[in-house]
Amino acid sequence: MTRTFVLTNHKGGVGKSTSATTIALGIAGVLRRAGASNSRVLLIDTDSQGHATLVTTGRNDFGAEDSLYAVLAADRPNAAQVLSQCIVQSTWDPDLHVLPASPMLEGAERELMRVAGAPYRLADPLSRISSHYAAIVIDTRPSFSLMTEMGLIAATDAIVPVEPRYLETIGLMSVMSKINDIREGWRHPNLRISGILVTKMDKRVRGHNHLLDELKGHSVLGKLLIGVIPANEAVSYAHHNHVSVFNYDPKAPASRAYAQLVGTLVRRISKGGS
Amino acid sequence: MPPKHNSRRMDELLASVTEDLLEGDPQHFQDNSIRVERILLEMVRPDPVQPRRVLPEQLHLAFHSSRLTPTQALKELVHLVQVAARQRGRPFNNVLELLPNSDDETNDEQDTKLSPEEQLLRDLVNLAVTIRDDGQVNPLTVVDMSEGVTRQFRIETGERRYWATWLLRDFIPSYDGDGMIPCIIIPSDRSSVFRQAKENTARSGLSAIAMARQAALLLLTVHGYQIPDSAVPNDFYRQALELDLRGKREYTDTILTAMGGVEKAQFSRIKSLLKLSDESMELADRHNIEEFRLRHVVSVSTEYHAEILRQIIDFNLTAKQVKELCEGSDLHVDEENPSEKLPTVAVKMAKVTQSVSTLTAQDLARALMLQEADPAIARARLQALQKLIVEAERLLVSE
Repeated sequence: MTRTFVLTNHKGGVGKSTSATTIALGIAGVLRRAGASNSRVLLIDTDSQGHATLVTTGRNDFGAEDSLYAVLAADRPNAAQVLSQCIVQSTWDPDLHVLPASPMLEGAERELMRVAGAPYRLADPLSRISSHYAAIVIDTRPSFSLMTEMGLIAATDAIVPVEPRYLETIGLMSVMSKINDIREGWRHPNLRISGILVTKMDKRVRGHNHLLDELKGHSVLGKLLIGVIPANEAVSYAHHNHVSVFNYDPKAPASRAYAQLVGTLVRRISKGGS
Repeated sequence: MPPKHNSRRMDELLASVTEDLLEGDPQHFQDNSIRVERILLEMVRPDPVQPRRVLPEQLHLAFHSSRLTPTQALKELVHLVQVAARQRGRPFNNVLELLPNSDDETNDEQDTKLSPEEQLLRDLVNLAVTIRDDGQVNPLTVVDMSEGVTRQFRIETGERRYWATWLLRDFIPSYDGDGMIPCIIIPSDRSSVFRQAKENTARSGLSAIAMARQAALLLLTVHGYQIPDSAVPNDFYRQALELDLRGKREYTDTILTAMGGVEKAQFSRIKSLLKLSDESMELADRHNIEEFRLRHVVSVSTEYHAEILRQIIDFNLTAKQVKELCEGSDLHVDEENPSEKLPTVAVKMAKVTQSVSTLTAQDLARALMLQEADPAIARARLQALQKLIVEAERLLVSE
């Protein structure tokens, strides 16, 4: 079964898209360097803002015919074929493939609201092509909408990016409770909370250090901590130049932290464990 | 701020992560094993140069030049069969009607000879129904031909199961599958024309024409010809007529084994079938005419091939009858060798003229006497010859 990582948090600006794109690129790169027979990684952008699409493909003009919207609108028997036709190659890496988002996804949620089986409109076709990929990474929008629900149902591993701020860590529990609702409510036992990713960590801020220590010390959350990404200007400059932070500045602290995270995830992919 | 872009440094960063991962087990991620997966039907395509054809030639070419989708190709096939069936007085609307009705005791299907197209569609429908009832037990063998984001798998074996699955999906009611087909995936670098040949020849039902195409593919491959990935006309296979095993002795055993362990002479006879005209190849392939019945047709001028094939099919001629038909008639018109249509005696006489300088008058007179035993008859023979020579000379002058 292909591991499908979904990055989700209903709070915006926590680094979901940055983390999703960097992780996807990193997994493809590491698997290729390791000589894996399949190093292809699919990045699915379910956020109508399309930031992940823009930075990885250099385009933001995907529409009704060539984006995730087309997949959601397709008849069930044709959806998988439509999905495979909408996938494009990233400009970052030939092994990184992207199912682009479109602003039309905003409307899709309303259109699908009363359609039976709507939450499975991504999981169902994705399951039919997932074996072609070593891993799949899904970027979600900053809300618990139908689109996010679709991403969670299609995933095997949820990663929750969170900033080390008091209110955000409070909200963390509600995010995890929502993921559990999906797991139980939709009878999706394969979905697990795979990790909490602390982003934009600034060691100079006492509050950040304090909250990180609290997180580490927590009986449940501490075990889920999967990585700490330092606040780093290189990330925003990389976005500006439509390149990955790995490419923009491989020696930047954020690059090294993401590389470490990628190593952890690839190890999980290869071992098939949690 | 301008990017501090340095792909080498990025490589170093990810390489260090990779090194940590591979520590102690450098082969950990290298899995080149053959795997079985369920693949979306649309991502699978038959091999356009596969010697064993499922669709009739015309549909085969139209499908592989992307003029027809799989569904359209099957629709055309069904239409073709409907026309053929109607002409034989057994029209049908639903493809399931092609299957014999086990409840009908008066059913005389066994006694009715089906046309090759009817037989083909009936076999496919039968296979489709089996897949519907029992599932696709035997996976297809496919080669991963994916490039970039385009996922594509080329069938090495199992084209009939592929078409049966399409038939099941689009033409047979109560299909409840998910449009996937189980496949054994072979990496493209492990794809081999020899393995495909072995798979083909190992199973029964490979027609003599398919064997001829198979022989051609093997010969062309070992002689370094590029095998295209699109449908090819018969002339592509005919290039093999100019090639033989002598040029590639190191491959002789491999080729003969891949062809099912045939002898060199048999291989040569199989290859010779490529000399048949396009129409006769199509007829021979569809009606599965054996090599021993076809070998005599090859020696006849190509313009007669199709007609002879029709006679073989209509009258179910034996090899002996085909031989008599081909040798006993005046069909051996060979434009490159016009002497073959002249009386043998004329050709012999012409040859005698080349050695006339070595002949003396006494020798000729003595030979005539020996032959006729009568001087008057011998003189009469010479006068007739003289008249013939004068007439021939007159003709040469007028030309």
